[in-house]
Amino acid sequence: MAAILGLIIGVIAGLFLQPDIPVALQPYLPIMVVAALDALLGAARSYFERSFSDRVFVVSFFSNVITATLLVFLGNQLGVGSQLSTAVIVVLGIRIFSNVSALRRFIFKG
Amino acid sequence: MEERKTAPGSLDSQQQESLKANQGERANDDTSTGTFPVVRRKPPHKTSHQLKVKALTALLVGLLCALLGFGYVVQVRNTKSSYEGLSEEELVRILDETSTQVDKLEERKSQLNQQLSSIKSSADKQQEAARIAKQNSESSDILAGHIPAVGKGIIVHIDEDDDRIDAATMFTLIEELRNAGSEVISLNEVRVVTSTYVKDLKQGLECDGQKLSSPYEIRAIGDPEALQNAVQIAGGVGSRIKVQFHATVSVEQANDVRIDQIRKPQHYQYAQTVE
Repeated sequence: MAAILGLIIGVIAGLFLQPDIPVALQPYLPIMVVAALDALLGAARSYFERSFSDRVFVVSFFSNVITATLLVFLGNQLGVGSQLSTAVIVVLGIRIFSNVSALRRFIFKG
Repeated sequence: MEERKTAPGSLDSQQQESLKANQGERANDDTSTGTFPVVRRKPPHKTSHQLKVKALTALLVGLLCALLGFGYVVQVRNTKSSYEGLSEEELVRILDETSTQVDKLEERKSQLNQQLSSIKSSADKQQEAARIAKQNSESSDILAGHIPAVGKGIIVHIDEDDDRIDAATMFTLIEELRNAGSEVISLNEVRVVTSTYVKDLKQGLECDGQKLSSPYEIRAIGDPEALQNAVQIAGGVGSRIKVQFHATVSVEQANDVRIDQIRKPQHYQYAQTVE
């Protein structure tokens, strides 16, 4: 409940505030968003598995975001930023897909 | 995650609440009694402290989700017009396209500039041509005798005595004036132009269809000195008129010789201008 409410509030805030992202943050924001999305879907899956933990969610959220950002940052430092960000996106995408399929199994009992 | 580890089987309600569901299940698996304790999703009652914690974690979760939504929207808005997410090839292609477009536009610009300058120069030329045409028409009008003229020149008075001055001599006088650079000449009431002729009659002369008789007055616009010399030069036409026809010839210089006689514009039947 709080999650959905928070999402809505965040979207509305983003729509109305229209902030300018600092240039230094620009390459990392999409990765951060995808990582956070992965954390959110993992939380949803664990919620359906009855193993949802607030603390786990918070920690996994931050660890996901920070790890993804650090990876991309490292890639930028090493000159392979685009490749590494692609790798992060692919891995997170796979995780998102597996989470979604787990969710689907729970919802449709398939 | 859980700091507290409790022995399986000794699950009182307090501990069960504090344990998370997965650990509860694990604990269930470990039970040796074979009986499954009821795993309640929601404990029957909560202490105020736990309520506070719950609210706090819910707030935290909501905050994180808000962060996610916020970041998502910001990113979506940001990527609309940026080339951040494009690959190198796409960027190169876009750069190529843009530079090609720039080249085309430059080309077009130079074409238009050329056109503009040519139009400008043609306008200038037209103005120049109009100016020259005006000048030409003025000078040719004077030359053709279409308009009156005024200027420095001489006035020649010829008074016949007994002998009649013949047409050839009069024409020679006109020719001499022309040679001396006179621009406009009139003979009595006749404006002398290129087609002017002088003919002998029994009495007097005929010039361009007009009968003329003594005294003759010839006006000529030009360099007064040169014109006077042309008439009065020793052995020239002036002395010939005096000697041959015993007429009196007087030449007077004037600053404003006015020639009002005009010649009607001639309509050319055969001749046409060359374009």
